[in-house]
Amino acid sequence: MVSDQVILGGLLIINLALYFPLVWAVFKRRKHRVSASNLADAFNGLELALKDAVPDLPAGFTWEEAVARLRASGVQTKGIDQALNSYQAYRYGGLPLPDQDFLEVVRVANMLGGTTAAKGRGGRSVGG
Amino acid sequence: MAADVRTKVVSEIGKIVVGREREIDLLLMCLLARGHVLLEGVPGVSKTLLANAFSRCLGLQFTRVQFTPDILPLDILGGFVFNLKNREFEFRKGPIFTNILLADEINRAPPKVQSALLESMQELQVTVEGYTETLLFPFMVIATQNPLEFEGVYPLPEGQLDRFMVKISFKYPTQEVESSILKRNLSSIDVADINTVVTLAELDALVREVENVKVSDEMIAYLARVASATRTEGSLVLGASPRAMVQLLRCSRARALLNGRTYVTPDDIKAIASDVLTHRLTIDRAAALKGVSKDPEAILTAILDRVEPPR
Repeated sequence: MVSDQVILGGLLIINLALYFPLVWAVFKRRKHRVSASNLADAFNGLELALKDAVPDLPAGFTWEEAVARLRASGVQTKGIDQALNSYQAYRYGGLPLPDQDFLEVVRVANMLGGTTAAKGRGGRSVGG
Repeated sequence: MAADVRTKVVSEIGKIVVGREREIDLLLMCLLARGHVLLEGVPGVSKTLLANAFSRCLGLQFTRVQFTPDILPLDILGGFVFNLKNREFEFRKGPIFTNILLADEINRAPPKVQSALLESMQELQVTVEGYTETLLFPFMVIATQNPLEFEGVYPLPEGQLDRFMVKISFKYPTQEVESSILKRNLSSIDVADINTVVTLAELDALVREVENVKVSDEMIAYLARVASATRTEGSLVLGASPRAMVQLLRCSRARALLNGRTYVTPDDIKAIASDVLTHRLTIDRAAALKGVSKDPEAILTAILDRVEPPR
């Protein structure tokens, strides 16, 4: 006859075996989530996410090419298009970093699976 | 303003030239960047019509010169003739004194004529027997050549090809565009139907604006990396010259302006790199025999895919 303690222990092990991968996946996902404090961080996070999620994207890709690729694969890029104009004006045109909504950029970066890395431009943390 | 001008020019020329929006864009970029264009294509693909319509819609003087093997530098540049009235030699201007010079079938002219023309293209002036005359503003040479002719032609050497800011290859139109061309030709069309949509003052302002388009240091470094990659590419014996890179930079600025921006992005450079650089790259025949790509455009695309732009 099996004691109650053995049954309890067995159930505990089964529960752990079932829920640990789920908890681990959630934890891992949280760890890889892109978080940004400004537009530049958001695009840096998107760049890293793109490199992870689209390994065949050539090293010489430009933002317009990357966004076109996302659009072709069915991703809604309207929000990114608007943010990209402001980001490029800052990045290449030397204009001040606009206080613009970048949540859409972060959303797409996270939709791509986030990133395992790294540091944003200016040393800001991008990865969780 | 520049973006509006672009839209107006494309739409006006589109009245008689179908499916050549990209070519019109390149012509406009080149004009604003003070460059010259080489049009390459088989006969009958609207090279001459496009050049004529382009100058007409900008309200510029247009002169066409058919290059032949017996043409002389004098026939292009002009020269001194004796005036019997005042019994003095005086300079008579040649057809080069215009805004848009269409040098039709440039590779039919002997090298002496080609080099005389190309010198003027570079210096924007004509010097004959110590007498110098400045060319009009704006001045652009649109030269054409047929890629399939080998008999009775004098191919432009690399040094002279380098003077052309862009080479536009005119391919046959798609079936859809071909149908539109045929439909358009059901009723008579004439280049005289093209209206002037840009004034000389506007054009002058745009040329000046190109010089104010910002190019960041990172973008300059990116261009230098691309140049270096073309020079160290194993399948090329001749990469992009410094002049080629300067012209790519100028053309990118014009593209940025025509797209309504005041700064150059890596997309500006990548979008026109093939048009500006391909005709200056020389394939290594030995590498080509070993099965490496013989197409300079494919090699350039591979280089651009490898060189990381600032992001």
